[in-house]
Amino acid sequence: MNVHDLKPALPPKPRNLMPVWAAATLALLWLIVWDLEISFEALAYGVGDMAEYFSRYGRPDFADLSRYLSLMGVTLATALWGTAFALVVAFFLAPLAARNFAPSAVSYRIAREILNFIRAMPDLLLALIFVAAMGLGPLPGALALGVHTAGFLGKFFAESLERIDQGVYEGVAATGANFPQLVMYAGWPSILRESLGYIIYIFDRNVRMASVLGLVGAGGIGLALHDTLRLFDYGQSAALILVILATILIIDYASAWLRRRLG
Amino acid sequence: MSAISIQSVSKRFPNGCEALMGIDVEIQPGSFTVVLGPSGAGKSTLLRVMNGLEAPTGGSVRIGGVTLGKSNLRKLRAGVAMVFQQFNLVARLSVVTNVLTGRLAHRSWIGSVFYLFRQEDLDISREVLARVGLTDKAWSRADKLSGGQQQRVGIARALAQRPKVILADEPVASLDPVASEEIMALLREIRDRDGITVVVNLHQVDLARRFADRIIGMNDGRVVFDGTPAELSPQALRTIYQREGMEHDNSLDLALAYA
Amino acid sequence: MTTVSIWRWPTPNGLPPLPLVAGVLALLVALALTAPVVEVNFIRLMGSLGRMVDFAGQMFVTPDWGYMPQLLDKMLETIEMTVLGTAIAIVVSLPLGLLAARNATPHIAVYRVVRDLLSLMRALPELVWALVFVSAVGLGPLPGVMALAFVTVGFMGKFFAEAIEVVDHKAVEGVRAHGAGWLQVRLFAMLPQALPDFVGTVMYILDHNLRAAAILGLVGAGGIGYDLVMSMRLFQYDRLLLIALAIYLVVTLLDRASDRLRSRIIHGSAK
Repeated sequence: MNVHDLKPALPPKPRNLMPVWAAATLALLWLIVWDLEISFEALAYGVGDMAEYFSRYGRPDFADLSRYLSLMGVTLATALWGTAFALVVAFFLAPLAARNFAPSAVSYRIAREILNFIRAMPDLLLALIFVAAMGLGPLPGALALGVHTAGFLGKFFAESLERIDQGVYEGVAATGANFPQLVMYAGWPSILRESLGYIIYIFDRNVRMASVLGLVGAGGIGLALHDTLRLFDYGQSAALILVILATILIIDYASAWLRRRLG
Repeated sequence: MSAISIQSVSKRFPNGCEALMGIDVEIQPGSFTVVLGPSGAGKSTLLRVMNGLEAPTGGSVRIGGVTLGKSNLRKLRAGVAMVFQQFNLVARLSVVTNVLTGRLAHRSWIGSVFYLFRQEDLDISREVLARVGLTDKAWSRADKLSGGQQQRVGIARALAQRPKVILADEPVASLDPVASEEIMALLREIRDRDGITVVVNLHQVDLARRFADRIIGMNDGRVVFDGTPAELSPQALRTIYQREGMEHDNSLDLALAYA
Repeated sequence: MTTVSIWRWPTPNGLPPLPLVAGVLALLVALALTAPVVEVNFIRLMGSLGRMVDFAGQMFVTPDWGYMPQLLDKMLETIEMTVLGTAIAIVVSLPLGLLAARNATPHIAVYRVVRDLLSLMRALPELVWALVFVSAVGLGPLPGVMALAFVTVGFMGKFFAEAIEVVDHKAVEGVRAHGAGWLQVRLFAMLPQALPDFVGTVMYILDHNLRAAAILGLVGAGGIGYDLVMSMRLFQYDRLLLIALAIYLVVTLLDRASDRLRSRIIHGSAK
């Protein structure tokens, strides 16, 4: 048999659907713009206005700086407590929501659903509810952050636990360990590094959210910003934004540095 | 009374694979049994039904006369220790802590979840580490050890349970020949000195011949040989290792000639 | 050897490891110091439990079905804001990502400026930007879309920049060796390599933006947020129930869809 006689035909070229997807996406976006009644002309005309508008923020007024800083401090403290609370809740729920560790299929489903539910509720809504229940102040904000981010942290932890090598799990299980022992010896030690990374990430996120929860009376700097903007006091607004910005950037750098140290 | 009694055990996995087909085996206390067979023969599954890591789909498993079931799993596992091919230590924890996990079934969960152990547990761990020759590595992290050393930690963990039975699932498959020799000798010594029943899965025929009192040959989910190493003739080996379509192939004989 | 305590830790000296103790203590001290700032008060917490239960009870009323049309309209608006804001952001962040990648940027100064700009854009939460944009262009979904797009550009720009920085040199040189121009090199060698992570990241962004979009209405930037807050303030629990359920449903649907999409990609199942 001569090899050169064999010329296998190429399989038919798979239909390239990219242009179809691209066109569909563009059509969808156009539809949305139409439905939202967004006027690009108004935006274009407004760009010039906006340049002037943003220039009003050019002269930040730091007269009240010490008050802003103390408000920021409250915001940071709220984020800390919220993260701590989330950690406690996630610590207990996550093993139940991990398929390999969950003691029963029922507990797995319930734990997962609880985590999904508290994750889906916007922290702002939770903050509103908690403020209604216990009055104004940073505590309801911290609780709202805690409950909401417990859902995220719990899901991250559970997914990490599920990724643990089955052999390691069996090694401890074969000694006759029960559920809490399995979690403490085969579970958490195996995912310690990633867990710390998640916690830092959640704290970072909570600092951002805490700075806006003030808008619903849950303490912190958000309310101050809302007030100054409503009074068209651009000088103070600029100063507040800069304080928030500076704090978040510092936390960002610190958390990125920490996660690099861990990684 | 047998240490382990396997009666008409079959195991069918959800994907349809029939790993065990009606196995009957009695393991006598204080014996050193080697299970031999090609990959996919069901050796691992056989061992894993003995400590409940796999639940049989048919038949029953009895440890010391007590049937293995969901409710007494923890209690029976305390008396049946396992040594794994991949060692299965918790990488981040120290050697001592890994050995101490062998004591977990004997402790209520209250102290152990805080990593607190009684003095007697620490004494036991010191003793078994000396037994496997790893006292100087006691505080190292488990993943910093060589393969042979990690397996010895695995054996120490098993010993810490003060078990009646040690199951070893391909304990030397990931080790070099020298380390394999050491581990097999250690297992044999454990049986000789403490009278612990040992059941080992191996695919190395020569190790089986040299260390076993009794060899159980498995192929395709069934027991096809059960006897002493002396009875392990080339003919018997062919029965154990044959695969479909290999009857006229003498490569099997060539391979086994050096076994 | 005398044993003073019955229980010991598995360490050479029987005490828990120092880094662990230090870490836990530091955390506890930080919490204790900030407790008064956050007005942590267990009595107050316990007291409010009663009110919480009351509140939960009040939620179990007949839903205000008459509100449904507006609810659907606002939820649709929220979703549209999310999609549009994300889409615009992706388009804008592609060139910015190129400029912010060390191996693709035309000049090191450009790289630094764009990197810092991106960092600033994503630093503030969407709600803060929404406040600012509402103040600039008025109420409605437009400032909301702008706020979402703004923050997303900050994030996606960084994502693209990092993805471009880890591309394989050989592929780039191969294209360059065939005489490709500056833009072509970036379009045909760098960007395609950066794309695989793209889908997963986009799903994550959509998820985040949907949650953000749901609350932007608080400051008048469109979406269900305004109705959410007002129904709470006016004690319209029959509406609040519907709103909470709607948000929960949509967020969960997107969550499941993105999980399924992600596992499809990981396990590579064919259609």
